[in-house]
Amino acid sequence: MDVLTGWWDDFFWGSVVVVQVFFVALILMVLFGLIGAAAKLSDNKVAQKIASGYTIVFRGTPEILVLLLFYFGSAIALTSIAQIFDPEIKYLDIPPFWAGSFAIALIVGSYATETFRGAFLGVDPGQVEAARALGLSNFKTFIYIQVPAMWRLALPPFGNHMLSLIKDTALISVIGLEETVFIAEQAMGTTGKPFTMFILVGAIYLSFSTIITLSVMRMEKYANKHLEVSR
Amino acid sequence: MTPVLESLTLIIESVPQILMGFGLTLQLLFLSGILGLILAILLLLMRISGSAYLSAPAMVYIYVFRGTPILVQIFIIYHGLAQFEAIRESIFWAILREPFGCGVLALTLNTGAYVSEILRGGVLGVERGLLEAGAALGLSKRHRFIHITTPIAVRLAIPAYSNDVISLMKSTALVSTITLLDMMGYARIVYAETYAPYEVFTSLMVIYLLMTWIIQRAFGLFERRMSRHIRQ
Amino acid sequence: MSNSEPNSEPNAEPIIVLKDVDKFFGDFQALKKINLTVKKGERIVVCGPSGSGKSTMIRCINRLEQHNAGQITVAGHVLTDQIKDIDAVRREVGMVFQNFNLFPHLSVIDNLMLAPRLVRNTGKIEAREKAMSLLERVRIPEQADKYPSQLSGGQQQRVAIARALCMNPEIMLFDEPTSALDPEMISEVLEVMTDLAQDGMTMICVTHEMGFARSVADEVVFMDEGEIVERNNPENFFNNPQHQRTKLFLSQILAH
Ligand SMILES: Nc1ncnc2c1ncn2[C@@H]1O[C@H](COP(=O)(O)OP(=O)(O)OP(=O)(O)O)[C@@H](O)[C@H]1O
Ligand SMILES: [Mg+2]
Repeated sequence: MDVLTGWWDDFFWGSVVVVQVFFVALILMVLFGLIGAAAKLSDNKVAQKIASGYTIVFRGTPEILVLLLFYFGSAIALTSIAQIFDPEIKYLDIPPFWAGSFAIALIVGSYATETFRGAFLGVDPGQVEAARALGLSNFKTFIYIQVPAMWRLALPPFGNHMLSLIKDTALISVIGLEETVFIAEQAMGTTGKPFTMFILVGAIYLSFSTIITLSVMRMEKYANKHLEVSR
Repeated sequence: MTPVLESLTLIIESVPQILMGFGLTLQLLFLSGILGLILAILLLLMRISGSAYLSAPAMVYIYVFRGTPILVQIFIIYHGLAQFEAIRESIFWAILREPFGCGVLALTLNTGAYVSEILRGGVLGVERGLLEAGAALGLSKRHRFIHITTPIAVRLAIPAYSNDVISLMKSTALVSTITLLDMMGYARIVYAETYAPYEVFTSLMVIYLLMTWIIQRAFGLFERRMSRHIRQ
Repeated sequence: MSNSEPNSEPNAEPIIVLKDVDKFFGDFQALKKINLTVKKGERIVVCGPSGSGKSTMIRCINRLEQHNAGQITVAGHVLTDQIKDIDAVRREVGMVFQNFNLFPHLSVIDNLMLAPRLVRNTGKIEAREKAMSLLERVRIPEQADKYPSQLSGGQQQRVAIARALCMNPEIMLFDEPTSALDPEMISEVLEVMTDLAQDGMTMICVTHEMGFARSVADEVVFMDEGEIVERNNPENFFNNPQHQRTKLFLSQILAH
């Protein structure tokens, strides 16, 4: 492991970036997913069309393409806007961190749209009726009955979405985000040990995946507590 | 009017260039699709063999390949393997020296892990009663697997498999990071020449969306034909 | 006993013998010291409340379940862990399930031909002839080229019976063959089973069709909580049950 001397802290900070991107993208992904699902479930034809356009486009194009389009596209837009105010400006871009988080959140959000929509439709209408019959308000029924039931249905696919997010973070290195893949590319140049470097990156991502998988398993156990067989 | 015209010209000029990579994208898709399917079947057989010596390695393999980014897998193979003298001197070097060989290998290894899980889902979805009926008729384990489990599992797995083929197609775009000129690779070149991200990348997006649509349609038809008689 | 003569001579050889058979699912004991002897040609109806172990018992006979203690002998084969060729035993024992379990991806005729072709290496033409003759016997030859999902429940169950018969079994096991059927289809299946009984097939049939039990069975076995509580000929079983649990069960089942 001598070759890694001097690189440990870089990989550490690279991992921190991965975690930061993950959480930012997670929040955005949930947001996009909920908006998409709401639009698909709404009565508004236009909203429905936009939402299904969104899911078709982002589920059918390569992640790296979305990323490049987003990053370079936003840079062009940003630059031309800035030039209105200051013609001296040559080039402006959204930092890779934000462009990347936004792009992967949009991609995974398109999958989450279907998950949330399916979970909403999957709630047993009998439960809702029963709650209403007991005199719960619409709002209380939603919070106490529908949301927990949806959560149980959505949790397993949602775990997969989180895994997609963490793995897609690696792609953002392509536009210059200094996460672990980016570090490894630099390190391989100076050390001449590419295998060691990229295996380390793989190990880092595998540990993140493992943490997510284990957390989701715990959450599932908790969410399904009432379904356990009593003896 | 002029900017629109300019954009249109750009699109018309860049699409043929991008399409120069179409053949490579297709080659990657078919080659790693087929090799990955073979790998997936091997992994599946290992997992359901009932022997821990076979199923444990398969499980670890699947876990590792599904738990790490495909980009990292591509880089380990393309950049990483050259670190070892033994590999550089082996007969595999002829393949591993070339980015194309590395790309196919990485995509195969990756899709194999995912597809084997999909196939396993199909196998687990076969109703137990049908296998019991087969057993009660005196069919051996092998016969049951070949004549009952396999045809039914295949039908059950088609929708998920079709999604994975689409994922594979999307992953092929990553080989542009190891100097290969697939459609994505050409698009990046055209972008570097024109600085027109919208025109170039959106055109490519449309091409990929068309491919996605074709894959979905093809598997949809296939599934409908195969499952005519199976009630959901 | 009432309408049909018993098939078996009084001292016909036993073809199925269960001796002190226990079966556990984890800690739960589903069968407790089961003793049952069935002679060649005998027709046994098994009844009892849900969860009493009826299915488990007949599934032990063709080893879809493995018993944990005691001995089971079927057509001369002792069923043990060491048994080399369980498939050989299963070839002698046909089974019909509650929910048919027809192979959905095969047409009716292919459902019937599959096992003879694979297991007995019967030629295609011969297997087809045999299958067609059995479809005629269950009165649906015209459905041969349809797929199971295109048939009614009663038709599917008759195909399932024909499929089991294709292997020329010596013994037929039925696990509630009519309880997944709409009422109007029950009789068509029972008729086929009655025909089979009259041809001298050895049968064990789990069913709550008491009319069938009265007219076809040589003996009725009543199970409760994993035990055989009572075994008697239909006449005595229905008119003069010996045990309290049997009386209770009969009063419940005959109430509707
Ligand atoms: N695979 C299994 N695992 C655990 N318990 C089982 C299993 N199969 C059966 N049992 C239990 O064994 C007992 C007997 O089951 P069995 O299916 O033999 O009952 P049955 O008499 O056929 O009932 P029914 O009329 O409902 O079909 C039941 O309590 C059941 O819950
Ligand atoms: Mg039963």
